[in-house]
Amino acid sequence: MERQLFFSGNEAIAHGAVRAGARFACGYPGTPSTEIIEATAGLEGIHSEWCVNEKVALETAVGASLAGVRTIVTMKHVGLNVAADPFMTLSLTGVNAGLVIISADDPGMHSSQNEQDNRNYAKFAKIPMLEPSDSQEAYDFVAEAFALSEEFDTPVMLRTTTRISHGRGQVLPRVPVEVEPRDYARDISKYVMVPQYARQRNRLVLERLEKLRRRAEESPLNVLEAGSSDFGIIASGVAYAYAREAFPKAWFLKLGMSHPLPYAKVARLYDHVSRVAVVEELDPFFEEQVRALGLPVIGKAAIPADGELDQEKVFRALEPYVQRKPPRRRRPVMPPAPKLATPPQPAPGLPVRPPVLCPGCSHRSVYSALRKRRLAPMGDIGCYTLGALPPLLALDSCLCMGASIGMMAGFNKALGRKAAVGVIGDSTFFHSGVTPLIDAFYNEVEGMVVILDNRTTAMTGHQGHPGTGLRPDRAQGPSVDIQKLCEGIGVRCVTVDATDHKALDTAIKEEAKAAGLGVIIALAPCVLVTREQAGEVVVDEERCNLCGLCVDLGCPAIAPGEDAIAVLETCTGCGLCVSVCKRGALSLSCAEDPS
Amino acid sequence: MNGTTTVTLAGVGGQGILLGAAVLAETAAGAGLEVKASEVKGMAQRGGSVLSTVRFGEHVWSPVGSHADVVIATELLEGIRGLDLLGARGTMVCASTTRITPGSVLRREEDYPDDLAGAAALRGVRLVAVDAEGIALQAGTLRAVNVALLGAASTVLPFSEAEWRRGLETAVPARILEVNLRAFELGRAAVASQEVES
Ligand SMILES: Cc1ncc(C[n+]2csc(CCOP(=O)(O)OP(=O)(O)O)c2C)c(N)n1
Repeated sequence: MERQLFFSGNEAIAHGAVRAGARFACGYPGTPSTEIIEATAGLEGIHSEWCVNEKVALETAVGASLAGVRTIVTMKHVGLNVAADPFMTLSLTGVNAGLVIISADDPGMHSSQNEQDNRNYAKFAKIPMLEPSDSQEAYDFVAEAFALSEEFDTPVMLRTTTRISHGRGQVLPRVPVEVEPRDYARDISKYVMVPQYARQRNRLVLERLEKLRRRAEESPLNVLEAGSSDFGIIASGVAYAYAREAFPKAWFLKLGMSHPLPYAKVARLYDHVSRVAVVEELDPFFEEQVRALGLPVIGKAAIPADGELDQEKVFRALEPYVQRKPPRRRRPVMPPAPKLATPPQPAPGLPVRPPVLCPGCSHRSVYSALRKRRLAPMGDIGCYTLGALPPLLALDSCLCMGASIGMMAGFNKALGRKAAVGVIGDSTFFHSGVTPLIDAFYNEVEGMVVILDNRTTAMTGHQGHPGTGLRPDRAQGPSVDIQKLCEGIGVRCVTVDATDHKALDTAIKEEAKAAGLGVIIALAPCVLVTREQAGEVVVDEERCNLCGLCVDLGCPAIAPGEDAIAVLETCTGCGLCVSVCKRGALSLSCAEDPS
Repeated sequence: MNGTTTVTLAGVGGQGILLGAAVLAETAAGAGLEVKASEVKGMAQRGGSVLSTVRFGEHVWSPVGSHADVVIATELLEGIRGLDLLGARGTMVCASTTRITPGSVLRREEDYPDDLAGAAALRGVRLVAVDAEGIALQAGTLRAVNVALLGAASTVLPFSEAEWRRGLETAVPARILEVNLRAFELGRAAVASQEVES
């Protein structure tokens, strides 16, 4: 027989991750989650890193999952608040290789500022959750979580509490799971969460939740355990262990896969006993759902809603009910699967009119240059996200504000090369791009970041930000110099005039070849603000062969005419089309210099 | 529904849909009605389809309605698309000479439709087709297409000329009021003469 190991839950998770084929682990320290990454760091075959915070850790993990390796990301309960922005939308995009988010909660606040119940997050994000009740399960459930993640294309939450993470127990090692790294395939409508794609993904999330519920009904992780009394208990995690000791004769519904709740299994418990209690620490998470089935249940009216439980607390709380006259039997009312709205159908035969990058927008110049490099552009949120739509198709991902750099970092780390580039706007950089840049520097990422500095928060209506110093009343305040900021971190950084297409192209080409981490600031004020007319594009109809290179830029001011390209009056004369034309059919006649 | 009139303005970002809606809302409010309105902002300047709804009546509950009684479309394709927004016995007031070609049509991936009259007839919709562009130019600026069209639509909406004037004065910035008042008058007159002809 294999030697049994004596592991804390956290060590068990680390070993369980390696056994399940995880190749990437990251997180941010916080009790009671910290020892997981400390343990993986000592193991073979898995890359471990501390990230700058939980949001960046999750984004890095998403990058690694996209790159094709099974990944765990760890944090304490409040850490998920910091990571909530990527977390909520990750439910929509799903994953490539399995991704398991480990949330370690701290009932009783041994070492925390609050005792929030993160089971609510699994429900909020409509993702599956597993809750181990000892070290062996902590070890085993990681592989279960990865399997669910890949089968259902979803992140999976593995939720522990202090007593599971820090409690110790024997663990019987299991045969390693054989997994091959997955190939990365760009899939814009899956990974770029602009409204039109997010709406489609959101329907899949709702359908996925019902499929997961059916899985929870069948899952051996959710066990109906026969007892010899007329009393039943629903529990998960360490609360299950306490309840087993307190009521050895009771029937149990032990929930290892605790979200979504298997309604039919809950109802089946009621076939065997006339009184049922839910034993859970913190919120009435199961209790509310059981009540919604119309079933009588003993819950938070007896079991404390704050702090940790123990055997005695559970026994004292429930003992009076065991003696009491059972409530009248009631039939459960199974909630129907929720109805989905009929998606609005685009009128047949009518061209759609999605928003587009404006004529002359400097973001287009960056995409035109990036396209020539074989790099996956991890995107972010702003006007520049429009570059992901046809015909540019210039971004591979858009998860949440600030996600580009962390995703680039995780992607490149997992593949061991400069395979992705982060593309982020100036306002977004200040919002949440600085911390992942610090992270990428600290973790020695091979990578490139392009900051699209149009000197404004364009998408939301041209608000100021720390880079411009503009206040809501347009008064000028102090401003932060992005280049100095990057250099202060220690990152190589150049600023390029984004209207100089050639210079931008060269800078991106050079940085793509360079080793280490570099930032390119592509600087050009938003054309909607400057309303600048840089010149006039002249078409040489003899030379134009309608090859379409310029049309592919997706500029609303260029259209193929009958014999040659036509330049419309909305053209600002930015000259990008001139720069991509291979036949010299386009030229720029510069605007008169008024001075 | 329930004595509430729903008007939806449809157009392309940058066409002044929001200003048009503001004029209508002020006019209805000035006429002593309750008004609720809703617009989806955000991408208004990025050339996408834009919708803005104004509802008025004795008492208005919701800011949007499932169907519109009148759609005012500042562009032909958006007018054809907007037919789907109309309820039974609806009226479409469309700037039928204004075409803003979407990217997919520019790139020849899709065709620009042009049979507004046919599509309207198929649905039994009353169509008021107006050369709002011509009228706006006559008034002095192409930018007044929105208000020229509002002038046309005023013939099917229950407000007096004085009420419209007050609405325009309240909603339109002083610097461009003059030209918009002209565009409104010309738009209104254009439909009045159409009706005499037919
Ligand atoms: C957490 C969060 N806050 C706010 C927003 C709204 N929002 C979307 S993009 C953006 C900023 C875009 O500015 P920038 O990065 O400079 O790009 P630009 O639009 O100028 O190209 C904001 C505030 C959001 N999507 N998420």
